[in-house]
Amino acid sequence: MTPLVRYQADLLLRSQRWLPPVILYVVFLGVGVQSGQPVLNSLGYTVAALLPVAAWLVRICVTGEPPAARACVAAARGPARAHLACLLTALLAAVLLGVVATVVVTIVSAPASNGHRVHVAPLRAAAAGLPAALACALLGTAVGALTSHPVLRSTGRAVPAMLLGTLFALVLAGSPAQAAVDGLVTGSRTGRPPVELLPLVGAALLTTAAFAAAARLSGRRSP
Amino acid sequence: MHRDLRLTAVGRRYGIRGPWVLRGVDLAVAPGTLTRIEGANGTGKSTLLRLLARLDAPTEGRITGRPRTAYVPERFPSALPFTAVGYLTHLGTVHGLSRADAARRAADWLERFGAGAYAGTPMTRLSKGSSQKVAVAQALLGDPELLVLDEAWTGLDAAARDELERAVAERTAAGGAVVFVDHDPRRLAGVPDATYTVHDGGLRRRTDSGSPAAGPVTVVAVRGPSGVPLPPEAVRIALSTEETTTGNHRLTVPASHSDVLLRALLAARPPWHVERVQPGAAASSDPGSRA
Repeated sequence: MTPLVRYQADLLLRSQRWLPPVILYVVFLGVGVQSGQPVLNSLGYTVAALLPVAAWLVRICVTGEPPAARACVAAARGPARAHLACLLTALLAAVLLGVVATVVVTIVSAPASNGHRVHVAPLRAAAAGLPAALACALLGTAVGALTSHPVLRSTGRAVPAMLLGTLFALVLAGSPAQAAVDGLVTGSRTGRPPVELLPLVGAALLTTAAFAAAARLSGRRSP
Repeated sequence: MHRDLRLTAVGRRYGIRGPWVLRGVDLAVAPGTLTRIEGANGTGKSTLLRLLARLDAPTEGRITGRPRTAYVPERFPSALPFTAVGYLTHLGTVHGLSRADAARRAADWLERFGAGAYAGTPMTRLSKGSSQKVAVAQALLGDPELLVLDEAWTGLDAAARDELERAVAERTAAGGAVVFVDHDPRRLAGVPDATYTVHDGGLRRRTDSGSPAAGPVTVVAVRGPSGVPLPPEAVRIALSTEETTTGNHRLTVPASHSDVLLRALLAARPPWHVERVQPGAAASSDPGSRA
């Protein structure tokens, strides 16, 4: 698996197709997160925006490789594993981006609750933000995996489905991403950083199921 | 056997109500054999090869056996952001080699196909033929147990075409199975252990391929201890053998297999003495030398 992920990661890095989502994310954070704002609120904003970026990164990884090159890799390792490597690469990229964004936002934000009433230790804020970022990265890649090849093969259907999927994942009650973001926003009001790991576990389970389904399908639905 | 790939009553169609591209296909690919698939355009040859490479699952029927497989697609894209050797090193590790080993073999195979000068060239700048060489090298560098070639010769220059034929001969001699599709009827003529024709979604084994070697042949004259028979491996490869005088043999092989034959003769115990190697007249069992 490691050589496959290394190949996919190199492909993603050199193709420079990661630039648009990353730039968009940076711009989005630049507009939405200003230094000196309450840290947990800003982190909520940061992890919520990570979700569509993660879904987009999956789309880039899955569609980035020409079909013939993909066939060469799939012949060697099986289509399911080749597809799984794409998804894991996108997940790794999203997690990396989420970790960097969380750290930077924690540093530039004010270590306080809304209205600067209660002090919020930056380390504890980051410790709350990182699992939330991880949950959003996981759920975003799950949405991406379920709304791109081989599950949805026409771009006309895949892109609207991906946008709708990310929206639902962020707003629907019961979604781990919604719970993670909500925990941060509520924590910012009360001044107590959330320490719940349930959203992360839920997101991990959902993503495992989504990855398994997409990888399984990739062996049965060629071009 | 695990490496023995077997298709049983395999059918494939695209979409739930699509027409059957293939149906009722039974095929076994044993290690060390060369199989040719023929058929007109659009009959499902590529679909069959994709099934053999396990890129695609059959709609019905069963495929058993999972040899280590390498696949050469019909058209290889150059739209990859790697250098030729960078891409091949990645693919080598995917095929299970260590990075150092993969890089070394990548350079070796590019050199063999006359593309050594392009090793460091970005793939987007390679010509169609050069990127096809990369595609072929990608498949060969992992010493696969099953090599699936979908018109891999298309786009290669004459020297590289011959080299690929020799590489196929080496692979089968080393115990690997090779399945190929090519529109040139002289491609590896007389060599395949089995030839199948895809027709109306079914697969028929061709039995009339009795005409040996319509392609170029090589005549090898060897001398060994009198009374000792030729190595069985050499007899299997040769199209015809003839004992000219006691201990002197003249073997006719497809040109692609001359290296494999020589290796078999020189590696035999006791080794055979090779006296002469010369190109023979094509499509003839009488090995008269060409002027």
